[in-house]
Amino acid sequence: MPENDRERTSRPDPDALLALVDRDTRGKLTVFLGAAPGVGKTYAMLTRARRLKAEGVDIVIGLVETHGRNETAALLEGLEVLPRREVIHSGRTLSEFDLDSALGRHPRIIVVDELAHTNLGDSRHPKRYQDIEELIAAGIDVWTAVNIQHLESLSDVVSQIAGVQVRERIPDTVLNRADDVLLVDLPPTELIERLKEGKVYLPDSAKRAIDRFFRLGNLTALRELALRRTADRVDDQMVDYLKQHAIEGPWAAGERLLVCIGPDSLSEKVVRTASRLASGLNAEWIVVSIDRADGEDGDREAMRQLDDTFRLAERLGAQTRRVIGNDFVEEILRFARREHATQIIIGARQIRFPFRLFRRSLPDALAARAAGIGVHLITDRESPSTKPKHPRPRVSAKELARWLGIAATAVGSATVAGLVIERFVILQNISLLYLLAVLVSATYAGYIAAIAAALFSGLAYNFFFIEPVGTFTIAEPHEVFAFFVFLVVATLVGSLASRIRQQAKAAQRRATAVQALYDYSRTLSGTVDVEDVLWAAVTQTQKMLRRNAVLLLPEDGDIALSVAWPPDTELGVTDMTAARWAFERKEAAGNGTGTLPKSLFQFRPLMTPNGVVGVCGYVQRDKPLEINEERALAAILDQTAIAVDRARLSRETLDQAARLEGEKFRAALLSSISHDLRTPLATIMGGVTSLRQLGDRMPVDSRNDLLQSIEEEGGRLTRFVANLLDMTRIEAGTLNAKRDWVDVADVVRVAIERARKYFPNRAFETSIASDLPLMRGDSVLLGQVLFNLLDNADRFGGDDPVSIYARREGNEIVLSVTDLGTGIAPADLKHVFDKFFRKGKPDGRARGTGLGLAISKGFVEAMGGQIKAESPAIKRRGTRISMRFPVAVAELPRKDWE
Amino acid sequence: MTAERILVVDDEPQIQRFLRPALGAAGYEVVEAMTGGEAIKAAATSAPDVIILDLGLPDMDGKDVVANIRAWSQLPIIILSARDRESEKIAALDLGADDYIEKPFAIGELTARIRAALRHRVQMHGSQAQLSTDGLSIDMIKRTVIRDGEPLRLTPKEYDLLVMLARHADRVVTHKTLLTSVWGVAHGEDLHYLRVFIGQLRGKIERDPADPKIIRTEPGVGYRFVRHDD
Repeated sequence: MPENDRERTSRPDPDALLALVDRDTRGKLTVFLGAAPGVGKTYAMLTRARRLKAEGVDIVIGLVETHGRNETAALLEGLEVLPRREVIHSGRTLSEFDLDSALGRHPRIIVVDELAHTNLGDSRHPKRYQDIEELIAAGIDVWTAVNIQHLESLSDVVSQIAGVQVRERIPDTVLNRADDVLLVDLPPTELIERLKEGKVYLPDSAKRAIDRFFRLGNLTALRELALRRTADRVDDQMVDYLKQHAIEGPWAAGERLLVCIGPDSLSEKVVRTASRLASGLNAEWIVVSIDRADGEDGDREAMRQLDDTFRLAERLGAQTRRVIGNDFVEEILRFARREHATQIIIGARQIRFPFRLFRRSLPDALAARAAGIGVHLITDRESPSTKPKHPRPRVSAKELARWLGIAATAVGSATVAGLVIERFVILQNISLLYLLAVLVSATYAGYIAAIAAALFSGLAYNFFFIEPVGTFTIAEPHEVFAFFVFLVVATLVGSLASRIRQQAKAAQRRATAVQALYDYSRTLSGTVDVEDVLWAAVTQTQKMLRRNAVLLLPEDGDIALSVAWPPDTELGVTDMTAARWAFERKEAAGNGTGTLPKSLFQFRPLMTPNGVVGVCGYVQRDKPLEINEERALAAILDQTAIAVDRARLSRETLDQAARLEGEKFRAALLSSISHDLRTPLATIMGGVTSLRQLGDRMPVDSRNDLLQSIEEEGGRLTRFVANLLDMTRIEAGTLNAKRDWVDVADVVRVAIERARKYFPNRAFETSIASDLPLMRGDSVLLGQVLFNLLDNADRFGGDDPVSIYARREGNEIVLSVTDLGTGIAPADLKHVFDKFFRKGKPDGRARGTGLGLAISKGFVEAMGGQIKAESPAIKRRGTRISMRFPVAVAELPRKDWE
Repeated sequence: MTAERILVVDDEPQIQRFLRPALGAAGYEVVEAMTGGEAIKAAATSAPDVIILDLGLPDMDGKDVVANIRAWSQLPIIILSARDRESEKIAALDLGADDYIEKPFAIGELTARIRAALRHRVQMHGSQAQLSTDGLSIDMIKRTVIRDGEPLRLTPKEYDLLVMLARHADRVVTHKTLLTSVWGVAHGEDLHYLRVFIGQLRGKIERDPADPKIIRTEPGVGYRFVRHDD
């Protein structure tokens, strides 16, 4: 293949092309965008739908509200309208869009009106735009309609313009990802005209707002928003087109916005403003918050608010980060430089007069040091700082009493000490003792105790030590000065000490969390078993979150509950559906998310670079995780995912190795069986053909010898085949040993007779106890076992006689076969009962089939006995194979014995 | 004329037990060896005319025995092997063994192989210029091939292939030997060349190319030129 057109000066942006490919397999979203209710979006949508239907396109109506308007209802005629789903909501039966029947119907295009609708009852998704996303993901084209005021990023602007709060909002990303946006435009004057003629439907609740909302000014402003938004989109599409087609263009010069937020109400506005700015500039934007390194994570209300703001930012398409640091200005600037931000956007709250003199506001400080980076201030018009930035955590009376008690005790002790010491020496600076009391209070009880101790100290110092003693007055002017200096120093020392205490506490908490994670990762790193990893993960999650936790892993194409802690935790149908969603879509699902929020659990996918390995769920019950829990969970999930992945890989490797070993074994087995079968066959076949063709030229004894060898080989083959069949029966578990009464002595006799026929040169000695009881078993199987043992003994037993012993030992019958051959090497001893394990003589001859002992073991165990091999047996020679069977309790009635 | 001497190398006593009287009755003298070491020694000292060698020996690999003997002697070697040991068999043939026979075998097959090997040993001394079988005659001096009185037009490669097979008449020639001798060492693995040219050759020399009688396929091993005594 020639490779000459590899390099071109400009190649299409691969990401842009990928996005395009993804879009091809998905359905297309067409949004009919209007400035206000009544501009005719539904009408426009239905008119187009009719036209396509007439052209034979498979288009159906998923849901359209006609609001009783005849002209709209008329348009529905001739179009296929999907049935709705009934939902019971606060006692009333209402109808909702039926997502599943739409997915089942799978039309080419579906019309679903009112994109911003909030679903009722137990719908899969809380919002309709999520239903629509699922339809698109399933490859269905969707037409929908929405008014501009429902866009998340515009909601505050709209509320400013029109003076109404918009409750039903959709993320801007929904509109941004739409393939087509059609603006349905109507000049405001005409709209007002239509309204007056009663052609515009409005819900009862909105009737009151009509006068305020449908004013020419409002409508004009909304129309402008809608027009501008559409124009922006057209611009974006142009840029996309240029990128896909590798046309060098003047598109965005890489503006990056850094948006700083904190736990306050202003932040939300900052984020919205930044979002508009970003889309106007076509810029990427990052939302960041700085958490104090020494700060308490504690103030839940503020944290919740911060989380909400972050979620809003994510919905609006921002990246979000959290940074920890003490110097806000420094951290923001460092972050901005690292991320190459060109603009910083920050909320500026007005600082009340007296403080303005002492400290510069954060934005001012930022502006002073942000060389080369633009700083945008977003001011808070309505409420100049009604809320303190960090509301103090509420303190219980008991806690307060304890702190005051500590302060009073410390000061009291200092006073007593001062009075005692003063008797013996003149103390120049008795105030130092009081400083000590303040420090002690600060260290053990914190800020409030420190301040209290400073105040108590001031009073006590004045009362006991400053002239005139015993009063709260001060005589000498310089003492007055010293007293105030003392108060200031005490307060400062107290606050510093308590701050240090707080930092130490926070550091300790973090250290504990880090230690827990570290312990967890060490536990995991020592574990290669999936089960152990899962147990460690689920118990750790439960411990950290103090909520029930579950882990689900893929199984046969679905996912199934693998472990839960506490173990009796169960998942309902909704929970399982949410878990599946999390697994398939690789996103959080269940309680607190946009998918199946009715579930009690929230499920998170366990992601690795190789994909999703499972799902972790925890009970959420509408109580979202706190920020530090969230961090801990994220860390646990990451580690768990990697550990599960690793465990799975190592198990696969082991399986692979075992399979390989198994294949090698099977190959060796096959080759050995084929040799064992083929050698006698070769002898028989060769002998028979020789006799037929050359027999008349052979001397008589040669002929006889040939015939005898054919007979012997036939016997050998028969034994081998019988052995193979026995082995197969043992392995298949179809060996049904009888439970007859067996006289062991009798079986031994028969076996020796048989062995004498086969091994005529071998001497056998027997020693069987005369009181040997009966045993339960199968005499045929036991006979075969004995014969196999005698066969082995003959093969390996040297020239000495082979002896057979049988006697009773306690409740067992012991039966053994002993030879005096060279014995079995200790290393081989534990393998002698393995299938196809065999040892030949050094010259390679006289090998057995390698089945005799394996079969014996199978038979003996089938009869409830045990078998073992000992070597050397006697005087460093020989081998003894002994079997033990339980003595059967005779069930015969006494009279039958007599 | 003294009887030809055959060295039988097999570690299974049963095999020896029937080969000795059978080969003896067929007019051969039998020398036995149980191991590879014994085999090499016997090949050097007892001057056998043909060696029958089992590949599965207790002390060494049968292939090494072939390689060892081939280092100093062109004695015909017939491999006794099992069907599931295909690659071993081919390796032994490529190392210089002359033929093979699969266990179990009928004694007639074995004696036929022995006769072919002995005949070839005779030809080694006086190289045969002409060969004819079943209406086909090859004249290696004039470089002509005649089928039932009609001269055949063969391409040079087809002719080389036919001659290579005919020179080893009644014995198997492995794919590798054919490829390297006709196309060169670089083409030792190019089995498809062989498939194509054997097909063409059969089309020209066989009476019924669909049921070839002269060039027989030895599956997985090579081809055999079969002489029909007519």
